[in-house]
Amino acid sequence: MQPYAEEGTQAILLYIRYQAKKYIEITVMLAAILLGLVTAAAAPLLYRWLGKWVVVPVALTPLLLFLYFCAFLPPVLQGQVATQQYDWVPALGINLQFRLDGLSLLFALLITFFGLLVILYSSSYLADDPLLGRFYLYLTLFMTAMLGLVLSDNIFCLFLFWEITSISSYLLIGYKQAEKEARVAAWQALLVTGLGGLALMAGLIILSIAAGSYTFSGLVGVRDQVLNHVFYLPALLLILLGCFTKSAQFPFHFWLPNAMAAPTPVSAYLHSATMVKAGVYLLARLSPVLAGTQAWHDILTIVGGTTVVIGALLALQHTDLKAILAYTTISALGLMVTMLGIGSAYAGKALLFFLLAHALYKGTLFLVAGSVDHSTGTRELFKLQRLGGPMKLAGLAATLAALSMAGVIPFLGFVGKELLYEASLENIGLLLVNMMAGVAFVAVALLMSYHVFWRRGPDKTPLQHAPALFLNLPPLILALLGLALGATVGIVPAPLLQQAYQVLGNSPGAEMKVGLWHGFTRVFGLSLLTLLLGLLLYNGLNRVREISTVLAPVYKYGPNALYHRLFELFLHGAKAFILKLQNGYLRSYVMVTMLFFCGLMLFMLWRDSPGIDLSKRVYQLQEMRMYELVVMFLVIAALVFLLGTRSRLTSIVVMGLVGYAGALFYILFGAPDVAATQLLIETLTVLIFVLLLHKLPAFTYVSHQFKKYKFIAVSILFGAIMTYVMLLVQQQAQPSTLKEYYGDSSYVLAHGRNIVNVILVDFRGLDTLGEITVLAVAALGIFSLLRLNPEKGDKP
Amino acid sequence: MRTLIFATTIRYLTPLFLIFSVYILFRGHNHPGGGFIGGLIGSIAFVFHVLAHGPERTAGTYFQLTFYHQSRQEHYSLPRHMWQLLQANTWNRVKQGSPSPWRYYMLRVRPAYMMATGLLVAATSGFAGLLAGLPYMTGFWLPFKLPLVGGLGTPLLFDTGVYLLVLGMILKMVFTMSKE
Repeated sequence: MQPYAEEGTQAILLYIRYQAKKYIEITVMLAAILLGLVTAAAAPLLYRWLGKWVVVPVALTPLLLFLYFCAFLPPVLQGQVATQQYDWVPALGINLQFRLDGLSLLFALLITFFGLLVILYSSSYLADDPLLGRFYLYLTLFMTAMLGLVLSDNIFCLFLFWEITSISSYLLIGYKQAEKEARVAAWQALLVTGLGGLALMAGLIILSIAAGSYTFSGLVGVRDQVLNHVFYLPALLLILLGCFTKSAQFPFHFWLPNAMAAPTPVSAYLHSATMVKAGVYLLARLSPVLAGTQAWHDILTIVGGTTVVIGALLALQHTDLKAILAYTTISALGLMVTMLGIGSAYAGKALLFFLLAHALYKGTLFLVAGSVDHSTGTRELFKLQRLGGPMKLAGLAATLAALSMAGVIPFLGFVGKELLYEASLENIGLLLVNMMAGVAFVAVALLMSYHVFWRRGPDKTPLQHAPALFLNLPPLILALLGLALGATVGIVPAPLLQQAYQVLGNSPGAEMKVGLWHGFTRVFGLSLLTLLLGLLLYNGLNRVREISTVLAPVYKYGPNALYHRLFELFLHGAKAFILKLQNGYLRSYVMVTMLFFCGLMLFMLWRDSPGIDLSKRVYQLQEMRMYELVVMFLVIAALVFLLGTRSRLTSIVVMGLVGYAGALFYILFGAPDVAATQLLIETLTVLIFVLLLHKLPAFTYVSHQFKKYKFIAVSILFGAIMTYVMLLVQQQAQPSTLKEYYGDSSYVLAHGRNIVNVILVDFRGLDTLGEITVLAVAALGIFSLLRLNPEKGDKP
Repeated sequence: MRTLIFATTIRYLTPLFLIFSVYILFRGHNHPGGGFIGGLIGSIAFVFHVLAHGPERTAGTYFQLTFYHQSRQEHYSLPRHMWQLLQANTWNRVKQGSPSPWRYYMLRVRPAYMMATGLLVAATSGFAGLLAGLPYMTGFWLPFKLPLVGGLGTPLLFDTGVYLLVLGMILKMVFTMSKE
């Protein structure tokens, strides 16, 4: 086990050379992730050093990553796939396997580009915030996790990053920690998505068992096996639960509007453009494996459709800019899920184009809402008027984004909407749902742009400060991008989306022809109709709101209220349970532990009823030495004395005596190490008791005489059972070569003659490491309890 | 407990205890002993000291290093100044608090840090194996042996970590409890 030093150094050198070669081979996709992590960890420190200039190094990371992923564009557009693998826990199939194909690249570019803009934006938005460093830490961590999520090929690797996005989302939502609303919302988001995450983990594990593969690329190959497997339905349901919670599908949609308690750049980035799309991404990634069954189709279209309707309805009832946007986001996510459910070639195209268009225009609108909030101090729709004058740039961005959202030619949103309609033409129900969302989107687009910025009103909303450049530039860039990509739809975005589309595998190999202009088709007519209806809806919006007040009582029974009620119930239950179990008396803990153990042992003895043959072992009694008897009687006498004593000092000393007697037994039976430890521990216990003695309350028998006998009875029962079990163990000694192995190899392999110590520090060193870690953690816990001063009103 | 005899005895016994505990730590690989037992003996030494002299005194004596310094006086030559510094830092140590030209620098060892250091040492001792491409916690030994101490190797480093952790933990416990 232990090569000598010369061999060791040689081995080290060889290993380093080998590793270096390996690191170059796996090149950089892992490095991209690591760069993000390093930046995240460094952000608070950088903030301390650089102050507000921290934005420069932090923004450099997404910029670098964006350029790095842009470099992948040419090969990926030709249909190549970049893969990298780094073994982590190969035995369990948990490896860092990365795979960059069209879909991943689309998301990676979106994540890094958006990340860059949002980081720039927040440098203005949170300019005076003393916690800016921490904010960048969370944001960069999230960006990295999201990148890892879309690059993962291994399902466990994906799950890992999935959970990190949930946690960083929690941290970001609760960023304004002083506000209760933010804390509650953060909790809610974490619990809902975390619960979904657990379901997802179970689902992925079941899926991997059914398929015998741990990678997405491997799963695709065994599609038939998965579809016919008995585990298909449970795996599907669990995975869908995970994706639906993440992507805020009904009935888990409620966490998303509450998550708007986060700073606006976070809402734009996590809760509209990227993180909430993780569920959609995973569904898209798994659709070549899981899609095609009736269950998949039904669940996705029904849940997605319901979400679309609910999101659209609720969006119209709100007057907070961010709430409106949040509900339309829910609606849009529902549309994407519906498209995945339909699963036709058109639906695949529609999903991707709409996803891109949505990310661009919704991100813009969120950022604009943030600028408006920052400049005027309010997000209430009715207090905002005629902002177009003082906030020209923001107004321009909002208008461009709104046109895209409404689906006006030549914006990218138009293409997305046309494709959505095209995909749902065959199903009249879905088409209606789709139209409804479209109409609502038009109305909301008018609200966000015309109503806030350009509508003529009695007076202007006063600005608290002039809009900063970085509050307006990022949304404008995004909005212009939406226009540019729309105008050049066949040339620029289509090739990449084509590659992404290949991943979906709806109809592999199908060429995707997308142009801006299709002629006067039925779908174009529907688009025009949508615009018209949207305009009408905008005009009648006040009436819609009046009517919707009737619905208020219904919300009492909505999922959000249900969540809070469950949460309360859970807290109360936990409190009652803990009060019952943790009553603060050490003696009752010890007694419960002992009784439970006794119960388990008695059950086992009753079930197996092993016979104990004492007759053959009587000779052992004859071999007993005199001094052993003396020590034994000493212990018994000490115990009897202990039961009668009324002084604390006496009882401590007597307990020490019992301990020393135990140590003496160890010495007699040849275990000097254990004996030494026992002796020292006894000494220490007595010493520490003595140290504290004068601080303890008087030693009186608080417990009733009856209780005393109860404790004695429990002790005797425990002792008797232990004795019986020991006798049993001795009788049925298992033959083991372990003892000989340790004895033989202790000096040969580990250079030590003291077997106990060699086992502790070498053979089973990892166990010892675990034990001392537990010791340290327990000690820290004890110290914080000791610090606690209940008399001063500290609460545990 | 603070009787004169006890206090004086403990003052002389504590260093002996400590040396013995380190000895036990080193001999553990071949004879009964080791980091855990050594740490317990060491902590018992300090517990006795706390019992006899109080926690402040113990912390001041064993866990705090004070360096005295003052700039050279004009009529002093450099060797004389050095001599004076040496004197002040060794046998003729200046008392704190009294108004004097001496400045002092304090170096304190906190038991909690001792615990953390112990854990760190124990955990990192296993990295030697990892660096060599062998499993974590593979032991390495230096090819020579020292008198009294015996062979040196990473398992010994691990045991030292255990020693520090146990010592730090009990010290922290005793200090916290006796200060209450």
